[in-house]
Amino acid sequence: MIEPDVGSRWSYTKRGYALTQSVRQLRERSVATFITLFVLGTTLALPAVFWFGSASLSNLVNRSVGEESITVYLSLDVSELDGAAFAKDWQNQTGVKRTTYISRAEALALFQEQTDLNDALAALGSNPLPGAVVVYPNIDPAVPGDVTVERVEALAARFKAMNAVERVQIDLDWVRRLQSALTLFRVIVSLLAVFLTLTGLLVIGNTVRLELLRRQREMEVSTLLGASRSFLTRPILYTGTLYGLLGGSIAAVIATIAYSFIKTPADQLAAQYASPFRLALPTAGQFLTIIAVVTALGLIGAVMTVFRPSSTHITNR
Amino acid sequence: MIAFDRVSLAYRTGQFALEEVSFTLKPGSFTFLTGHSGAGKSSLLRLIARLEKPTSGDIQVGNEQYSRLKPRHEPRLRRSMGIVFQDNQLLYDRSVFDNVALPLIIGGYRFKDVKTRVMAALERVGLSDRYADNPIVLSGGEQQRIGIARAVVARPKLLLADEPTGNLDAGISEEIMKLLLQFNASGVSVLFATHDTDLLNGYRFPQLVLDGGRLTADQTVGGAGFSYQPQSPNSEPEVTS
Ligand SMILES: Nc1ncnc2c1ncn2[C@@H]1O[C@H](COP(=O)(O)OP(=O)(O)O)[C@@H](O)[C@H]1O
Ligand SMILES: [Mg+2]
Repeated sequence: MIEPDVGSRWSYTKRGYALTQSVRQLRERSVATFITLFVLGTTLALPAVFWFGSASLSNLVNRSVGEESITVYLSLDVSELDGAAFAKDWQNQTGVKRTTYISRAEALALFQEQTDLNDALAALGSNPLPGAVVVYPNIDPAVPGDVTVERVEALAARFKAMNAVERVQIDLDWVRRLQSALTLFRVIVSLLAVFLTLTGLLVIGNTVRLELLRRQREMEVSTLLGASRSFLTRPILYTGTLYGLLGGSIAAVIATIAYSFIKTPADQLAAQYASPFRLALPTAGQFLTIIAVVTALGLIGAVMTVFRPSSTHITNR
Repeated sequence: MIAFDRVSLAYRTGQFALEEVSFTLKPGSFTFLTGHSGAGKSSLLRLIARLEKPTSGDIQVGNEQYSRLKPRHEPRLRRSMGIVFQDNQLLYDRSVFDNVALPLIIGGYRFKDVKTRVMAALERVGLSDRYADNPIVLSGGEQQRIGIARAVVARPKLLLADEPTGNLDAGISEEIMKLLLQFNASGVSVLFATHDTDLLNGYRFPQLVLDGGRLTADQTVGGAGFSYQPQSPNSEPEVTS
């Protein structure tokens, strides 16, 4: 008997056969496959970029507030001793991390150091600057941004109510604005991400549907030969999963490249707000997670197409 | 054993393809299924393969009572029989070998068995040297032989042949007939749907004759001059309707 020269041992097992068939379909229609994969990859790249960046964004908001301080300007008649005592008192209050007392003399020295207004000050004759206590709130970065801002403002209100305090300055307005902008940005991008993910699902679903039509004949013949439903659907599910795997890899690569473009301007922007925030490049874990998620998406798209109630492609009479 | 008990089949159009058909075939028999075009031959074979479900009546094949068969067990039932189609139903996107191997892949056979069984089946239909070709390059008769190899490769107990010689010329019909006889000789029950009068006259096997979906008790061709001699005492169909 002739020893046949045929495909690999594995391609004659049920699973191997299914995978061989779906890989073959992808390769035979390589141009169409490439276009589909590219559409899938670019569609899902934006949600991926957003996901890569979202951790950094929440970090930005919390960290910015964390660096914030309240400057409490004392009345001019508060003595240096009383001022230092005030600072010491507040050192141990809840919600306060630490305090620093800047006496009137120190304030003047700092002012002279930082400005060219020495002549004008000299003309005044006496020191016009009040003493000040810089209060660093104790902020838990795990607490969501808005609550933190509220806590800082509540602390400031307590200082304002005191007689010895002339004026309280908190520089939280920009953090507020940044937070509002970021919230808006997040909502918009989340919506976009949802729409694009659905689009990706539709692309996979449609590809799988076409694949079902192309395989119609093979599925009919296999049914006649006694194929079970799982035998018939397995190659289709593999096709969806393969599209997810390859499309997800493309999405992850595009997202990483796009991210590296965003990083420089984002870091510069953060630097302008004196924030130590820096956009972190996606980790290998994040990269692989994107691929895994899109692979799952591919499988889900295929399952939805194959098992949707109106699917007339697979009948097992 | 195949037993039909007052089986009727109506398609969705409402038209009856089979009406109150009853018969019993013994294991190992060779039976012709004949009748004019549209008489219900294909419908009867499709019922046996559970590709259709009867509108009324019950079918038994071996130990399987079809009315009690769970849908998920239907593929397994189908794998236990071989079917040869008039339009051979080969796949032209793969080699002869891979066509014949498909029932074994579906059945989950080991690769070693796939190789030996496919080559043995091709050997029996005389086409083992063409295993690597695409079936499209083969002649109609050769393609039909590939179809037969695929039908018998998993060694079924029952072989259903739906006008396998319909499109082929007389010499090739004879060849196909000889192959089916060989399989019958090795213990396979054969139900051979055909309206090829040369075959029906040339081979004296019991016949199920359908006319407009009804089974006629007549076992002779043209009603005269045909003396029925069963190949074996067991192979005579009992028309019980
Ligand atoms: N899928 C179908 N839907 C509706 N009617 C059908 C279908 N298949 C066959 N028929 C009808 O059933 C009758 C028997 O057909 P068939 O079993 O194919 O006969 P044969 O094989 O003897 O030519 C015919 O009248 C045919 O038109
Ligand atoms: Mg027919």
